[in-house]
Amino acid sequence: MTSTILEFRNVSFSRGPRLLLDRMSFGIEKQDMIALVGPNGVGKTTLLKLASRLLPPASGEILLDDRPLASWPRKQLPRAVALIPQELEIPFNFPVEEIVAQGRVPYQPLFGTSTPLDREAVADAMQAVDIVGLRHRVYSELSGGERQRVKIAIGLAQQPKLMLLDEPTQHLDIGRQIELIALLRQLNESGITILAAVHDLNLVAENFSSVIMLTPEPSWIAGPAAELMRPELLARAFSVGPSALGRYFVAPASGGVVQAW
Amino acid sequence: MPASKVGPTQLESRISSRTLNIVLLVALLLAILFATALGAVRLPVSEVLRTLLRPTRAGDAREIIFGLRLPRVVAAALVGAALSATGVLFQGLFRNPLADPFVLGTSGGAALGGAVGIFLIPTLSFAGFGATAVLAFCGSVLTMILVWYLARAGGRFAMETLLLAGFAIGTMLNAATVVFELHEEASNSGLRVLAAWLHGQLGIPTWSQIALLAPLVGIAILLALPLAGRLNTLALGEEYAAQLGISVGRVRMATVVLGSLLTAAAVSLGGLIGFVGLLVPHFLRILIGPNHVRLLPAAALGGATFLILADTFARTAFAPAEIPVGVFTAFLGGPAFLYLLNHRSRESRQ
Repeated sequence: MTSTILEFRNVSFSRGPRLLLDRMSFGIEKQDMIALVGPNGVGKTTLLKLASRLLPPASGEILLDDRPLASWPRKQLPRAVALIPQELEIPFNFPVEEIVAQGRVPYQPLFGTSTPLDREAVADAMQAVDIVGLRHRVYSELSGGERQRVKIAIGLAQQPKLMLLDEPTQHLDIGRQIELIALLRQLNESGITILAAVHDLNLVAENFSSVIMLTPEPSWIAGPAAELMRPELLARAFSVGPSALGRYFVAPASGGVVQAW
Repeated sequence: MPASKVGPTQLESRISSRTLNIVLLVALLLAILFATALGAVRLPVSEVLRTLLRPTRAGDAREIIFGLRLPRVVAAALVGAALSATGVLFQGLFRNPLADPFVLGTSGGAALGGAVGIFLIPTLSFAGFGATAVLAFCGSVLTMILVWYLARAGGRFAMETLLLAGFAIGTMLNAATVVFELHEEASNSGLRVLAAWLHGQLGIPTWSQIALLAPLVGIAILLALPLAGRLNTLALGEEYAAQLGISVGRVRMATVVLGSLLTAAAVSLGGLIGFVGLLVPHFLRILIGPNHVRLLPAAALGGATFLILADTFARTAFAPAEIPVGVFTAFLGGPAFLYLLNHRSRESRQ
C-alpha cells in the first residue's frame, strides 16, 4: 500500500476541438488538503468530474486507491469518492433531511429502505456541518451558505475517503467563506482527503497544503502551496500583470505585500 | 411574493403517509359505493351494498349495478389511478410539476396510435382491444421519446419545449380526426370512439376489458413503486444521481415504459382526460411532501377517488345530459396548470 489515494497518469481530455487537459500526471496523498486553482474555463470542473468518473478520460489512466477508476463497481465508487457540485437545484419542496439522505443511496439495495446505520450516518453528516436545525426546512428556500453546507452533508453521508468540491466558496460572503474553509479543515483533520477548486487565492495560501494549478496553454503545475502561491506563477496562470495581482493577493511566504505598494 | 408568507416553511408537522393512505382507501371505497348508487335511477346505498356483497341476487338493481354503473365506476377508478401515478412518474423524471400525460402529449400520442388501430387495422382485435391497445402504447412511448429529445438541453428540460410538444401532438390528433372522417370505410362506431376520446368521455367498458386493464394498471403501479426511490435521487439531477451509483438510463427507460403503459390503459378507457396527473399529485405534495415513495401510492388511491367523483358529477349534475369528465377536469385543472406555470416561471426568474 502506498499513501497515494488518487493518481492521474498521463490523463488528457478534450472538449470538442479544444484540448483541456494535456497528459496530466499527479498523485494526491491521503489526508492531504489540496486546492485546484486556475482561470475560468481552464478545466477545473472537468478534472473533478474525471476524478469521480462522471467523464471518461480521452487517454491515460486514473487510479483510486491504486485501482483503476474504471474497474470500481458502480455502487462502490460513491462510497469512496464524493463530488460536491458547484450548483444544486432541487425541484419540489424537498426538506433538507431527505436531500442529505440521498447520500446513502450507494449503500442501499433497490428495494431497501434506510437502516439505522443509514439514519445515523445522515444525522452525523448534518451534525458535522451544523445543519441539524435546518433539517425540516425546504432546500430551495435556503441561503447560499446553507445550501453549501447541505451539499457537503450529502457528501459526508456517503462516508467517503476523498471529497471533491467544485468552487465551494462561490457566492458566499467573506464570513461564510471563512466558516466553510474552517469546516473543510475540520473534515480534513477527521481523515477525509480534500481536493477543492477555489477561486480566492488568499484562502488557498492560508489553508491548503498543496496546490494544483491549471493554466490555459494547457499546462499545469503541482506542488506545496507555499511554493506555488508566488506572484509570478499566478500572474502567468491568470494572464495578469504581477503588480495588478499584487494589489489583491498577499503572498504567504514572505509575509509581505507583493510589489508596487 | 405574497405578503402573507411569514418565516421559512417548516415541514415537520405533516400527516403521516400511512394515515393518509388509510383515509384515501376508505374514501375510495365510499366513493365507489356512492357513485354506484347515483344516477338516473337512484338506488339506496344499502341496496347497492347488499347487491355487491351477494352478486347472485337477481333484480333490477343487479342489472343496473353490474351492467351499467359499476363498470363505469371501475373504469373511472382505473383511469384516475393510472393518470395520477403517471403524473408522479413523469414529474419525477422531468423534475417538473407540470409534466402530466395530457400536457406532455403522451395521452394524445396514445389516442392517435389507438385511432390508427381502430381505423386502419380494425380486424386485429381481442378482448375489445388488440391492435388498438398495442398501438396506443406505441403512440405514448414514441411521443415520450420525441418530447425527451426535443426538450432536453444541457441535462435540463426546457419548459417551453415540454409544453409545445404537448400542444403539437394535440393539434396533430385533432387534424387526424378530420382525416379519419374522410376515410371511406370509417365505421360509425370507430368515429364515436374517436369523438369520445377527444372529449375525454368515459365509456362503459365490458367486464372482459376490465379484466384485462385492471391487472395491467395494478401491476404497472406495483412495478413503479421501487422506481419511486430512484426518482427522489433524480431530484438532485441526472449527473448527481449517476455519481451516487444510480444507472440513470435504466431508471429513465423503466419510467417511460411504465408511464406509457398506464397512459395507454387510461386512454383506451377514457381518451384525453387532462390535468388529473397534475392536480392530484400537486395537492398530495402539499399534504405529505414531495417524497415519491410516499407520493406514488397516495396518488394512485387519490386519483382513483378523484376521478370517480369527477365522473359522477359529470354524468349526474346536468341529467339527463352528460358532460364528458375530461371537460370537467379541464375546468379544474386549467387554472391549477396556469398557477403552477406562473409560480415556476417566477421561480426561474429569481
